[in-house]
Amino acid sequence: MRVFTGEELKKYNGSKGVSYIAYAGKVYDVSKSFQWKKGVHQIRHHAGRDLTRALKQAPHHPDLLFKFPVVGKLAD
Amino acid sequence: MAKVAREMVEMTGVDVDELIELLVTNAAAELTTYYYYTILRANLIGLDGETIKEIAETARIEDRNHFEAIIPRIYELGGKLPESMVDFHNMSACPPASLPKKANDVQALLKVLVEAERCAVRGYTHVCNLTAGKDHRTYDLAQSILNEEIEHESWFSEFLGEGPSGHFLRRGDTSPFVSKFLK
Repeated sequence: MRVFTGEELKKYNGSKGVSYIAYAGKVYDVSKSFQWKKGVHQIRHHAGRDLTRALKQAPHHPDLLFKFPVVGKLAD
Repeated sequence: MAKVAREMVEMTGVDVDELIELLVTNAAAELTTYYYYTILRANLIGLDGETIKEIAETARIEDRNHFEAIIPRIYELGGKLPESMVDFHNMSACPPASLPKKANDVQALLKVLVEAERCAVRGYTHVCNLTAGKDHRTYDLAQSILNEEIEHESWFSEFLGEGPSGHFLRRGDTSPFVSKFLK
């Protein structure tokens, strides 16, 4: 499985149509999600980032993420 | 624009421009849901469909009420609606509540309805979380809408047999929580 550094993850911010986000060490491809159009979710969350901390405050469980493909791991 | 009202919110540390954008995307979700529910309602036919039609209609009308209730707050805070209806549709906070491929599949219709309501519940919870103790008017508005969205979710969830909620069809007027913003 591909290992992403934080810098590599930043490239997948939705600007080129591909949106990856990291959660709990895994990197998910949310490009096809309605909720991640143009790499932005609910105005304030941006693709290309580790959202582990942000998800703790989200009005939904992390399991909403689990339906999206895992494309790699986030480097420590 | 209500200049001092906006200043008061800014002074609490809320990013008002971000809040306005959230309100606009939620207003778009309400109006588009009203539209898509119109199609769903028309297709709720047959013994099973007719059972759900009235409650779906109440949810449809209340979603339109939510749209009406949000708009003044957007302008008070210095925001505005996009001029293009197409742009407005495409910035909706929730996916289109589209008619299922098999339009006479009432279970599938109910799943569309309940997912639309769940998206709204999450959205208004988010707005409440951002504004609690800071922007009292937006919080009151979002909380009022949230109360109705939770009831909508419960109605459709019960039809799907997910468990009891203790809620019933509205008796009397629609929007018991939001109506104070519509007077």
